[in-house]
Amino acid sequence: MNENRTHHRGRITAAMLILTLAAAVLAGRLCYLMIVRSEHYSQMAEELHQRERTIKAARGQILDRNGTVIATNRTVCTISVVHNQIEDQEKVIQVLSKELGISEETVRKKVETYSSREIIKTNVDKELGDKIRDMRMAGVKVDEDYKRYYPYDSLASKVLGFTGGDNQGIIGLEVEYEECLKGINGKILTMADAAGVEIENAAEDRIEPIAGNDLQISLDVNIQKYAEQAAYQVMEKKGAKGVSVIIMNPQNGEILAMVNAPEFDLNHPFVLPEGQENAGEKEKQDLLNQIWRNSCINDTYEPGSTFKIITAAAGLEEGVVKLEDHFSCPGFRIVEDRKIRCHKVGGHGSETFLQGMMNSCNPVLIDVGQRLGVDRYYKYFEQFGLKGKTGVDIPGEASTIMHKKENMKAVELATVSFGQSFQITPLQLITTVSSIINGGTRVTPHFGIQWTSADGETVHKYDYPEGERILSEETSATMRYILEQVVAEGSGKNAKLEGYRIGGKTATSEKLPRSLKKYISSFIGFAPADNPQVIALITINEPEGVYYGGTIAAPVIADIFKNILPYLGIPETEEETVSAIRIYG
Amino acid sequence: MSGRQPVRQEEGRQAQAQPRKKKRPRRFYDYSLLFTIIFVTVFGLIMIYSASSYMAQLRYDDAGYFMKRQAMIAAGGFVGMILVSKIDYHFYAKFAVVSYILSYILMIAVSLVGREVNGKKRWLGIGPLSFQPTEFVKIALILTLAVVITNMGKRVNDIKNMGIIVAMSVPLAGLVAANNLSSGLIICGIVFVMLFVATDKKLIFASCMGIAGFFYCFAGQIGHFLETIGLLHSYQLERINVWLNPEAYAQEGGFQVLQGLYAIGSGGLLGKGLGESIQKMGFVPEAQNDMIFSIICEELGLFGAVSVIFIFLFMIYRFMLIANNAPDLFGALLVVGVMGHIAIQVILNIAVVTNTIPNTGITLPFISYGGTSVLFLMLEMGIVLSVSNQIKLEK
Repeated sequence: MNENRTHHRGRITAAMLILTLAAAVLAGRLCYLMIVRSEHYSQMAEELHQRERTIKAARGQILDRNGTVIATNRTVCTISVVHNQIEDQEKVIQVLSKELGISEETVRKKVETYSSREIIKTNVDKELGDKIRDMRMAGVKVDEDYKRYYPYDSLASKVLGFTGGDNQGIIGLEVEYEECLKGINGKILTMADAAGVEIENAAEDRIEPIAGNDLQISLDVNIQKYAEQAAYQVMEKKGAKGVSVIIMNPQNGEILAMVNAPEFDLNHPFVLPEGQENAGEKEKQDLLNQIWRNSCINDTYEPGSTFKIITAAAGLEEGVVKLEDHFSCPGFRIVEDRKIRCHKVGGHGSETFLQGMMNSCNPVLIDVGQRLGVDRYYKYFEQFGLKGKTGVDIPGEASTIMHKKENMKAVELATVSFGQSFQITPLQLITTVSSIINGGTRVTPHFGIQWTSADGETVHKYDYPEGERILSEETSATMRYILEQVVAEGSGKNAKLEGYRIGGKTATSEKLPRSLKKYISSFIGFAPADNPQVIALITINEPEGVYYGGTIAAPVIADIFKNILPYLGIPETEEETVSAIRIYG
Repeated sequence: MSGRQPVRQEEGRQAQAQPRKKKRPRRFYDYSLLFTIIFVTVFGLIMIYSASSYMAQLRYDDAGYFMKRQAMIAAGGFVGMILVSKIDYHFYAKFAVVSYILSYILMIAVSLVGREVNGKKRWLGIGPLSFQPTEFVKIALILTLAVVITNMGKRVNDIKNMGIIVAMSVPLAGLVAANNLSSGLIICGIVFVMLFVATDKKLIFASCMGIAGFFYCFAGQIGHFLETIGLLHSYQLERINVWLNPEAYAQEGGFQVLQGLYAIGSGGLLGKGLGESIQKMGFVPEAQNDMIFSIICEELGLFGAVSVIFIFLFMIYRFMLIANNAPDLFGALLVVGVMGHIAIQVILNIAVVTNTIPNTGITLPFISYGGTSVLFLMLEMGIVLSVSNQIKLEK
C-alpha cells in the first residue's frame, strides 16, 4: 500500500508538472502575441475601430467682377434623435412635430426606433435649428451643414450652375471650377463599437476641413440683370421660345453677361414647369436637361446675315474685294443650277460693297465668296477659329457643324457666304466677330478671372494668353467702319444710340426645316465703333409676328447699350466725330 | 497512512480554526485553496462585468445583467461547496453508480428534449431553471472512475482492466462529444489523467501524447490528405485552415479568431486598463463567455494574463498537495480528476483564445460566464476541500 502511494505521488506530481509545462508554453505564446505581434494586432484593431466622420468643407463663393457674391453657402441644420439618450419622450415628439411640421405619428415612429441615430429632418433653416438646440432636449441632435445658396435666385442660372446633394457642381461654372471651389473635407476619426456606434470619451483625431477658394468671374451682376430684363421683355413681347444675350469685352474675351431666357431658379433647380410635375423619371430628366441648357454655348444655329461679317473680313483681307467695288443685285443670284434669292425680292440694284453690307445683300456676299473660292474661304474659316471650339470655361460647348472641305462646292460656298447651311454657337459667332473688330487677334471668351483662398492669402489669376493674329489691323479697322455704317444708315439702324458710335449687323435665320417658317432673329452690336469696349449678341428664338432681326433684335441691343455704356464709363462722343471717320481703302 | 507531512504553513491557522475539538484528531482544511477559489470567482465576476457591461446595457438595459446572474449562482454554489466540503468524501462513493447511470439518462434526455439556445441543444430545463448536463457528467465520471479504480486496487495495471475503464468512459464521452465536442475532449482528458496517475504504465501514455503531438504538428498536411481522399468535409478542413492562417481565411471564419487576437495583441505589456477594452463592444462575440481571456489580455495586458495563469497554476499545485496527502487512493483520485478537469479546461481555453489550437467552445473555469459551469465547479471544489478536510494533522 505504501509503495503504491509513493508511486501515485510521483505520478500526481508528474501530471502536475506536465500540465504546468503546457501552461508555460501558453504563457510563452501569450508573450509572443502580446509583445512581438502587439503592434501588428493593435494597428489592425485600431483600423477596425476607427470611424471616419466627414466635416464638410465650405464651398468657395462665386463673386462677380465687382465682388458681389452671387453664389454662397447657407448654414442648414439636420435634426436627429438618439433613442437611448431621450429622457422626456413625449415632449420631444410634441416639440419636434410642432416645430418641424411633421405629423406626430412619423416623429413618434422615429423617436421610438431603436438605433444609433435617426434623422428627423434635413435642410432645416439655421434659425429653427438654433431654436431647437436652445431647448436643450436630451437625445435631440442638431448638426449644422452647408447648402449652396444663390442670393439672386435665377440670375445667370445657366452660367453659374448649381450643386447637388454632396455639394458637387452639376452644371455650369460650378462644374468647371469644381476643383477650385470644393475645398478639402475634414475628418473626425472616432472609435466605434462593432455596430458602428461612436464610443463616448474615446480620443478623437480631427483633421480640419479646408474651405474652397472664392472664384471671381467677369460677369457683372448689374449688366446681367439689365440684359435679363431686356431679354424677358422682348421674349414676352414677341412670344419667343427663348432669348439669349451675350455681352463681352471684345478686347480680352471677358464675358460680362450671358442671358438664356427663360432662366431657372438656382435654389430650386429640380422644380419642373407647371403642368409637367407628373412626368416619368426619364421624361423628367429630359425636361430638366432642357431647362438647364445654356443655348449660347450648348446649342448651334445658322447664324445667317451676321456671318456676312466673316465673309467680308475674309474678302477684304485677301484683297478680292474693296469697299467701293461695284456689284449688282437683281434680287437673286444663280449659282450653278440654283437660284439663290436675296431677302429683297426686287433686288438692291447697283451698289458698292459697303452698300451691299449695309443692305445685307446676299448676292454681293455670294460674289465675294465665289471670288475667294472654296480653298481660300475654307482657309479663312479655319484661320478665324471657326472650326474649333472657343475654349470658354463652361462645360458642354457644342462644336461647329460645317461642310467637309471636299464636299464644299460652289452652291455650298454661296450659302455659307451669307451664313446658311452650317451651324455655330452664338458664343462662337460673338468671339469671332470680337476678334475681327478688336484689331485682329483671337480672344478666348471666359468667366473665370481669379480665385482667392478662403483665408485671403493666396490669389491665383487665370491667365488667358493673347490669341494669335487672324486678321490685319487694317482690315479690322475697315470692318469696324463697315459695321458702324450698317448701324448708322443700313439695316441695323434700329440699334442707333444717340451719343455713341455703334457698330453691328442684323440677321434673320430661317430654322430648319425651312417649311416651318420659324426664325431666329439676331443682332450683334459693339461700341464704341472705333475702339470697341463692349460687344453684344442677341438671338431671339422663334419670335411671333415680325421676325426681322433689324426690327426686333437691334432695338434691344440699343436699349441695353443705352444703360450699360454709361455704367461701364464709356464716354459719349461728340456728334461731329461721327462724320469724321477715316475711310480705309 | 502514516506520517506524511502536511503543509506546514497551514498548521497555525488550522489550530485556530478548530480549537475546541480536542478529542478528535486535528484535521486539515485547505484555506489556501478556498481563498484562491474565492479570489478567482470574484475576479471572474469583475471581468464578466467589464466584458459584458457594454453589450448588456445595449441588449438588456442593465450593464450588470450577466454579472448579477453569475454572482447569484456563484454565491449559491459557494454555500453548496462549503456543505459538500464538510461531509466525508467516502459518503459520495455511494452515489457513483447512480450518478453514472444518471449521466446517460441526462445525456440522452438532452439530445431528445433539450432546450435549444443559439442553435445548440445543450440545455435541460424545468420551468425557468435550466442547466447543461455535460457539466454534471464530468463530476459524475470523476466520482465513478475513482470508485472503480479504487476497487480494482493493483489490478488496474492489467491492460484488461484499463480496457474496462476506457470502455466505461468512451460511450459517455462519445455521447457528450456528439452534443458538445469540447466537453467530450475534456472528459477524455480527465480519464487520461486519472488513468495516468492510477496505473504504472508509461509507454501507452507516452505514445498517446506522441500521436497527439504528431497530429498537432502536421494538422494542415493531414487535413489536406484526408480531404483529398474524402474522409474530411471541406468545411472541416476550412476550420483547420482558419486556425493555421486566420488572416488569409478571414471570410471563412477567421474573423472571429482574429477578433480575439486583436484584443490580445492590443493589450501589450500592461493592457489598456480595466474596463477600457474596445473589442468587447461587439467585436469579440459573447465576450463574457469563451473569449473572456482575450478581454483580460486587452485590459490587463501580459502581466494580468500571466497572473491569471499563475493563479490557476497555484490552484493546481494545491490540488497536487491535497492529492499527495489524501488519506487514501479514492480521495487522491477524486482530487486528481478535478485537477485534470480544471487544468485541461484552462489550458484548452487559453490555447483556443491564443489560436494555438483550432477554435472550439471551452469556457475558462470560474471566470467565464456560465451558471451550470460555476455551480458544478463549486461542487467539485467542495469535494476537493472535503478530501483536504480528511487529512489528519500530526501533533
